[in-house]
Amino acid sequence: MNHLSSETFDDNARSALADVQLRGALRNATSLFGKRRLAAAASLQNWEELRSQARSIKDEVLLHLDQYLEQFVANAESRGAKFHWARNAAEANQIICKLIADRGGKKIVKSKSMTTEETHLNVALEAAGMEVVETDLGEYIIQLADETPSHIIVPAIHKTKRQISELFTSELGIPPTDDVDKLTATARATLRDRFAQADVGISGVNFGIAETGTILIVENEGNIRLTTSLPRTHIAVMGIEKVLPRFSDVDVFLKLLPRSGTGQRLTTYQSFITGVKQDEAAEGPNELHVVLLDNGRSRMLAHPITRQSLACIRCGACLNACPVYQQIGGHAYGSVYPGPIGAVITPQLVGLEKTAQLPYASSLCGACREVCPVKIDIPRLLLHLRGEITEAAVNKRRWEQLAFKLWALVMSRARVYRVSAKLGGILQRLLVRDGKIGKLNKSGWLAPPLLAWTSGRDLRPIESKTFRDKWQSELKQRD
Amino acid sequence: MLVSLFVTCLVDQLWSSVGVSTVEVLRRVGCEVQFDERQTCCSQPAFNTGYRDEARKVGRHFIEVFESSKAEAIVTPSGSCAAMVHHLPELFSADERWEKRARAIADRTYELSSFLVRVLRCEDVGASWSGRVTWHDACHGLRDLNIRNEPRNLISKVKGIEFVEMDNADSCCGFGGTFSVKYPEISLAILDQKIEAIERAKVDAVISGDASCLMQIGGRLSRKGSAVKVMHIAELLASQA
Amino acid sequence: MLSNAREEILGSIRKHLAASGPFDAGETNDQVVQSKSHDFEIKKNTESLIELFAESLEAVDGHCVIVNNEQEVIDAVRRILVDLRATRLSPKRMAVSDADEIRYLVESMSSELDEVAKAPSATELFGFDVGLTSVQGAIAETGTLVLEADREQNRLISLVPPVHIAVLDAAKISCTLGETLDALYRDGKVSPAITFISGPSRTADIELTLAIGVHGPQELYVIVKRAC
Repeated sequence: MNHLSSETFDDNARSALADVQLRGALRNATSLFGKRRLAAAASLQNWEELRSQARSIKDEVLLHLDQYLEQFVANAESRGAKFHWARNAAEANQIICKLIADRGGKKIVKSKSMTTEETHLNVALEAAGMEVVETDLGEYIIQLADETPSHIIVPAIHKTKRQISELFTSELGIPPTDDVDKLTATARATLRDRFAQADVGISGVNFGIAETGTILIVENEGNIRLTTSLPRTHIAVMGIEKVLPRFSDVDVFLKLLPRSGTGQRLTTYQSFITGVKQDEAAEGPNELHVVLLDNGRSRMLAHPITRQSLACIRCGACLNACPVYQQIGGHAYGSVYPGPIGAVITPQLVGLEKTAQLPYASSLCGACREVCPVKIDIPRLLLHLRGEITEAAVNKRRWEQLAFKLWALVMSRARVYRVSAKLGGILQRLLVRDGKIGKLNKSGWLAPPLLAWTSGRDLRPIESKTFRDKWQSELKQRD
Repeated sequence: MLVSLFVTCLVDQLWSSVGVSTVEVLRRVGCEVQFDERQTCCSQPAFNTGYRDEARKVGRHFIEVFESSKAEAIVTPSGSCAAMVHHLPELFSADERWEKRARAIADRTYELSSFLVRVLRCEDVGASWSGRVTWHDACHGLRDLNIRNEPRNLISKVKGIEFVEMDNADSCCGFGGTFSVKYPEISLAILDQKIEAIERAKVDAVISGDASCLMQIGGRLSRKGSAVKVMHIAELLASQA
Repeated sequence: MLSNAREEILGSIRKHLAASGPFDAGETNDQVVQSKSHDFEIKKNTESLIELFAESLEAVDGHCVIVNNEQEVIDAVRRILVDLRATRLSPKRMAVSDADEIRYLVESMSSELDEVAKAPSATELFGFDVGLTSVQGAIAETGTLVLEADREQNRLISLVPPVHIAVLDAAKISCTLGETLDALYRDGKVSPAITFISGPSRTADIELTLAIGVHGPQELYVIVKRAC
């Protein structure tokens, strides 16, 4: 199990950067996704309007989340759905294991749900002696490889065809092949039996519609439809923030989500499930259980800057646009949710202490904000979290804190600033060669940032005549 | 027009020619340039690293210095510093008095190219420079301040220039302030993709509006022994070669 | 114990929303914009709807056949079976849904195949090669079929067999997704299971390379029948 931790993010990132195959895979995938998203967004003249509309709907829901949740639950319950509230991951897993055990369920099929990744549901199910198979192709591949997903939309984005073929050969016994259709057909054939025999289907939920009590789930493969219509019992796991107010709101989100996620106008299938069947003899499950998960989400409501985290519709566009994610991929973050959105929700869900590196793993370029369909201002969130981290002093950077205190002292007094610039200009003579500061070795220990900079870049030295000097001596006279 | 120059700490110490060029260009287009020597820094390094109290301390100094100026505009040769000044009101959101003072400053602070084109409505500043160049969109200027066409228009009017767009001109160079030294390997990986695009464009120089990006890009080009120069747009516009 | 969780979570939501009050004042939110504008002219005329639907369906790798009457539907299904025989998907057994409007196909197709069964059970369906259903609606702008499971037993027949043939009454095609959603929400209620289908199943999970035919059908044929 590649259980990388976010505490070792810097090491994780270094390993990822050394993985040539991974970097190639990421480069191809993210640039392709980027092009497709751009083309799909450009195909709608009112794209910007739609983003604003979606954000305002989300703001409306979040500001009245308790009311919309209650409405959603009441309407779904009136149609036969049963609800279970989980305060945290462990409780969610307990509820689900008990639901299945009480029904004598043994064979479980599961469709892709990041929320169940968050709770590590499969680990709990297996510990309870239950057999669970992931049916989304990417998730199936990950499950066979005993790994975790590295992208919100394309879980096996980090794997090449060759690697997948090798995996299928060792786990499923098929001959090696480069043919994607053959690999896909193998997965289809292997999973058909599992679908046919499953007594429980577990899915996620993309949106819960309060007005009608409907859960909406979107996909391309058909495994969600099979998971949610074949087995007797359907368990749907949903984060509490996934509510939308009205049935008609689906229009905006179905325009934004597929285009942002994969560049499609619509994913192949949308399943709108409202309660359970009225007629015993009809198709579909006999029971629908919806598990509502908090796990730290309600806390995020306490400030407008953090509340917007909950607007996320899990499209993955920010991952594809992020220059950091493009280089290191998802596993390096050591968190369930990677990339820009992961860097902001993980510290909030899990706590600042173990995740303090993540909000700093960004150049604040803002590409994520540009592509987010619900206009989450991720850079602003990152800065907010950085402020929280330094204030809580969890990042264990005593020297850095002292350095910035000193910096503030110098920068708030012009004369001290000028003197320190002169001082710097003198001290640097130890390091400057041929008009620049090149790669440092021993001398670098004096200032780790200097060592870090010069590992790959030359550095311009402080000039002997600064701008101020030139203003005084040449430019000012002309005034 | 009376303009107060915010030269930025980076330009002051490491790239004075950018400051000199900025003064030159502003004077050439008819501005009277004031330089308040009490100025230091916009507080961006502290703000971006999460040291809000320290940022406020330096921010207050910035506000006090520039408040005393009667200039209609505060102009700076840095998109990221201009963007930071625009964030100052938010930094003081818990203090109504300082927030108001910050807003008054922010409202008249401009990045250089955006000042020339949007305020002075001037695209031809009488510059000339022979060579093939490309433009790197610095992130804050682009995404916080919407600066995209202005520098390109200004460059296109430089006599003798050949301008080409490089691939992904608007992707980050990997600087990100302290990010560049906290995560140097990632910073370099991002940077190398930018360098590849620059090399594919086969230019004599890369132009940008932020000295920080130019330090990042230029530092790598220098380490690789590349003949490609980096130039700040102020230097290009001041050029009459 | 579980009802405590409900109250705790709702309580936590209320508490944290209350705490955000003083900070919310300083935020400027986007105006709530009700955007009903479209990037193309809304079509009302059936012929243009048929044309748009066909175009959109083909763009997502579905096959569209346009016919005028029941006899032509029968001919179309026959031709589809002929085409399929030339592929690996050689059809021998077809499942037909319980929809009255396609009942005539059960008889007319029984000579073409080893077996034509009406509404087989879920487990039996895994042995069928073709599923034939009608649909409750369609969306022209995206080439989407709309199925309501309480109106017809089409939920699994449209999903399990590797080929899905859908007979669509042209009068049921609406132009946009928005219109369709409004139509589905009738008298304050929606059907217990509504499915939107836009083309055959697909994935790009392996190196972002498109593969058609994953867990859902590999081929989707829609026979659009004009009103008589």
